[in-house]
Amino acid sequence: MFVGAPFDFSFVISAFSKLWATLGVTLLIVGGSLLTGMIVGFLIAFPRLYRIPVLEQFSKVYVSFFRGTPILIQLFLFYYGLPELLKLVHLDISRAPVLFFVILTYGLHTGAFMSEMIRASVTAVDRGQVEAAYAIGMKGHQAFTRIVLPQALAVAVPVFSNMVIALLKDTSLAFTLGVMELTGKAQTLGALTQHFIEAYLALAFIYLVVSFTLEKLLRAAERRLLKHEQPDGTARRRFRIERKPSLRGMFAGIGAEKGGAKL
Amino acid sequence: MKIDPSFIWTAFVQLLSAIPTTLMITAVSVSVGFVIGVITALFRLYRVPVLGPISTAYITFIRGTPMLTHLLLIYFGLPVIIDGLSGWFGWGFKSASIPMIAFAYISFSITAGAYMSEVVRSGLLAVNRGQLEAAYSIGMTTFQALRRIVFPQALAFSLPNLSNSAIGMLHGSTLAFTVSVVDINAKAQIVASTNWKFFEAYLAAAVIFWGLTVLIERLTARLEKRIQLYNRGGVA
Repeated sequence: MFVGAPFDFSFVISAFSKLWATLGVTLLIVGGSLLTGMIVGFLIAFPRLYRIPVLEQFSKVYVSFFRGTPILIQLFLFYYGLPELLKLVHLDISRAPVLFFVILTYGLHTGAFMSEMIRASVTAVDRGQVEAAYAIGMKGHQAFTRIVLPQALAVAVPVFSNMVIALLKDTSLAFTLGVMELTGKAQTLGALTQHFIEAYLALAFIYLVVSFTLEKLLRAAERRLLKHEQPDGTARRRFRIERKPSLRGMFAGIGAEKGGAKL
Repeated sequence: MKIDPSFIWTAFVQLLSAIPTTLMITAVSVSVGFVIGVITALFRLYRVPVLGPISTAYITFIRGTPMLTHLLLIYFGLPVIIDGLSGWFGWGFKSASIPMIAFAYISFSITAGAYMSEVVRSGLLAVNRGQLEAAYSIGMTTFQALRRIVFPQALAFSLPNLSNSAIGMLHGSTLAFTVSVVDINAKAQIVASTNWKFFEAYLAAAVIFWGLTVLIERLTARLEKRIQLYNRGGVA
C-alpha cells in the first residue's frame, strides 16, 4: 500500500483554490444533463401519462433500465457502445469529445428519474382541480398552465432538488472516462504532489459547499411555490401524532428518489 | 471492431464469478449502515447533548459529498491514522496488512449509515405517538416500548426506503474498482480489456445489475406484504 507525503494542512487550502477552477466543468455536466434530462423526462413521461399503447411499454423498460443499473456501468456502456451502434448506420461519432458522452449518459440517466417525477407530480394533482377550472369556464391549456402546473411544480420541486444533488455527486464518476472535473483534478493534484489526503479533503469540502448552496436555493424556490399551503404550526414532537397530508409528505410517498427498477 | 453478440454471453458467464463480491459489499454496507443509522437516528430524535449534533454533522457531510470521496478519503487517510497510532502505542500492526476489500466495507458502511439514518428517522417519525404512550401506560420501559412497539411499525413503514437504499448501495459498490477490488464492474473491465470487447462486457454487467435490482425489489415487495399483515384493517 502506498502512503504519500506527510499531512500538510496548507496544501488543503492551495488544493481548494486549484480545484475551485474546475468547478465549471462539473457544473457544466450538471447543467447540461439536467437540460437533456428534462427533455427526455417529458418525452418518456407523456406516453405513460396518456397511456399510448406501445410507447408506454418502451417508457417502462427505459425507466427500469436506467434506474436498475449503476450509472458507472451506463457511462462505460454509452462511451464504448454508442459509437459502435451508430457505426451500423454509418454515423461516426467516435471523435466526439468525451464530455459529449458524459452529458448524454447523465442526461439519459436523469431523464428516467425526471420522467418518474413528472408522472408522480402530475398525478398528485386532484382531478377535481381540473374539473373546477373547467366549471368556471377555463379552457384546456388555461386549466393546465394556471391550475395544474403550479400545483404539480410544487410537488416536483423537493424531488427535483434531491435529484440535482444526487446528480452533482454522481458527476464525480466522470473522471473514469478521463474528464477533468473536480474529482479528476483532485486525483491529478494528489498524484502530482503526493498529498492525496489533502486534495481529497479539499474535494469533499467543495462538494459540500456546492450541494449545500444548491439545496438552500432550491429550498427557497420550494417555499415560494408552497405559499398556498397552510403551515402546520404545531410544535415538533418526538414521535409525531397525525400529520396533515402536506405536499412534503406526498413527496415522501412518491418514491422517485434514487434506486429501484420498478419493472 | 464489430459488435459480437455471442461474446455478451461469454462475458456474462465470466462475470457471474464476481457476483458474490458485489453482494458481499452490498450486504456488509447495508447491515452495518443500518446499525449506524439506527444509533444516529436515535441520537438525533432524543436530542442527546453532544452525540446528537455530531450525528447531524456526520449525516450532512456524508450526504453532501459523493460516495467516491468517502472511499478515497478512507483509502488514503485510514492507513495514515492506523500507522500513526500503531507507531505511538508500539503495536506490531501495519496498515499494509489490511485487505483492500476492508476499505470498501468501511467506507461504504459509513456512506450507507448516513442515508440509512434518514430512512430510520422518517420511519420512527411515522409511528403514531399514541403507540409509545400506550406502551408506557401498560408499564413498558423505553427500551421495551421501542423494541416491541415502535421499531416493528417503523420497519414496516420504511421498508420501501430501505430497499431503495440497498439498491443504491448495490449500484454504489461498482466504485470498489478504485481500490482494486474485483467486483462485477472491475471484472467487466478486465474481461473487456483482455478481449478488446468493451460494449459487450459492459452490456453483460448491466444485465446482471438490472437483474439483481429487480430481484431486490421483488423480494422487498413480498416482504412488505408479509410485514404489513397486521395493518390490513377490517374486522376479521
